[in-house]
Amino acid sequence: MSVTTSPRAASLSELQGAFQDFLLASSDSFQSEVRDSRKADRATLLDVYREGYALRLIEVLTTDYPGLIAMVGSASFDDMARAYIAAHPSRHPSVRWFGRSLVDFLESTAPYNRSPAATEMARFEWELGEAWDAPDRDPVAAAALIALSPEAWETLAFTALPSLRRVTLAFDVPQAWQRREEVASGSLVVSATVPVPWVIWRPDLLTRYRSLEADESLLLDALVAERTFPELCGCLACFTGEAEAAARAAGLLRAWVEAGMIGSFRY
Amino acid sequence: MSAGRTSAGVDFGLGLRPEHYDEIAANPGRVSWFEALSENYMVAGGAPLHWLDRIRRDYPVALHGVSLSIGSVDPLNGRYLDALAALIDRVQPMWISDHLCFTGLRGLNMHDLLPLPYTEEALDHVAERVQRVQDRLGRRLVLENVSSYVTYASSQLSEWDFIAELSRRADCEILLDINNVYVSAFNHEFDAMTFLRGLPRARVRQFHLAGHTHKGSHIIDTHDRPIVPDVWALYAEAARLFPGVPTMIERDADIPPYAELVAELDTARRIAAAVGRQAAA
Repeated sequence: MSVTTSPRAASLSELQGAFQDFLLASSDSFQSEVRDSRKADRATLLDVYREGYALRLIEVLTTDYPGLIAMVGSASFDDMARAYIAAHPSRHPSVRWFGRSLVDFLESTAPYNRSPAATEMARFEWELGEAWDAPDRDPVAAAALIALSPEAWETLAFTALPSLRRVTLAFDVPQAWQRREEVASGSLVVSATVPVPWVIWRPDLLTRYRSLEADESLLLDALVAERTFPELCGCLACFTGEAEAAARAAGLLRAWVEAGMIGSFRY
Repeated sequence: MSAGRTSAGVDFGLGLRPEHYDEIAANPGRVSWFEALSENYMVAGGAPLHWLDRIRRDYPVALHGVSLSIGSVDPLNGRYLDALAALIDRVQPMWISDHLCFTGLRGLNMHDLLPLPYTEEALDHVAERVQRVQDRLGRRLVLENVSSYVTYASSQLSEWDFIAELSRRADCEILLDINNVYVSAFNHEFDAMTFLRGLPRARVRQFHLAGHTHKGSHIIDTHDRPIVPDVWALYAEAARLFPGVPTMIERDADIPPYAELVAELDTARRIAAAVGRQAAA
């Protein structure tokens, strides 16, 4: 008499691991755990999941990085996105955050690291996205500062809006980004420039960005670091001389307040 | 937990999509409630939350998640549950739903609704997790049947028996996606009516309707086109079996003008009304 034993059924943990490994293309062992249907073989049916996994994440990156697509073209973007998906599988419940490591990936991975302009575009677009759904805060009104006593200005310090971001770009990425929908995919030209500091912020529901003068970027960085107003004036002295520093600092501060960049102050 | 039914006046709703925010504010049409995708609003601020708050002022809202991963062998994600609890506090939804599936393990998220094997082991596992989530959130969970494309060789139960038994064991409710029943019935060659008849009537909290893509040998749940006649016919049967259950249409790709979805919702309304008249007669 011969005795046959059926193989041990895979556990839930083993099945899920095999399914995920199949999606990540690291193993095809999951094929043995599912059945052909009468109309399609299991390989065809499993491909719905494997290809759907890639397409879904490529679509997320497409939404996050339209300027990058306009620069490199859809085919190259697709290749890059698949490489990124393989290198950085999602670890967050929301796809909103899936693309957050793309800049690091482009900077550190050949051949993408040979295109610093593309990396700068990706950085600019990610920062726009970060500002888009950053915490809300009503900007400080100019009247609140005007009402302060002279003594208050001796220790006055500020915080920027939570959405405020600073980037310095060596290509004319923001100008090119504005043309992203006007050009054929892959034809957006980005040109090198002297490094320019930019600020991105969202005072209401719309995100803004603009370039900064050299002394303005220095002062804004000091403000973000919560330096006091006298310290801010000291930062400017090398640009303006001590006599003009307070007036220049006050002028820039007024412009930032009017633009809605300042979130709070204390003294 | 009590097994509530339709909230007063909540009958035909649509998925809340950013493409339609302005239109909903200006000219909402005959839509009595909206379903918001939970993860889209798990952000700190900005336009998404602004619009959600604004629409919530005027309409009942249900929260529908895609990342609870209730069937995963990974531990429940505490940070995700905290974010969901915060969103529940903000929105005060009619109910919260997610999918009977897993979305990843080992800390990864595949962002897909991966089917479970219908085994006793999976049933025990999911029932225990549903109860823990319900305890954490202080309310009953509504779980949706997913479209699936493969059949596990190890499955011991039918999908409908699995769902029915889960709802009883975990005291949860069912989001019955009519299109998903149709898609899975075609892909796995079961009778869609047997599926519907196998569900406990008092547990069905909501219907979903959507479009799909027919590939000849299989159907893919794409939510990118209008609802097909066969799904409308199945919806009529569901409306007959589960009267008064709120209905909602999902569209997640190739989003049409808002008015097209409102018109499609009118079709659901007409079908449900006709079924109601037949039942009364």
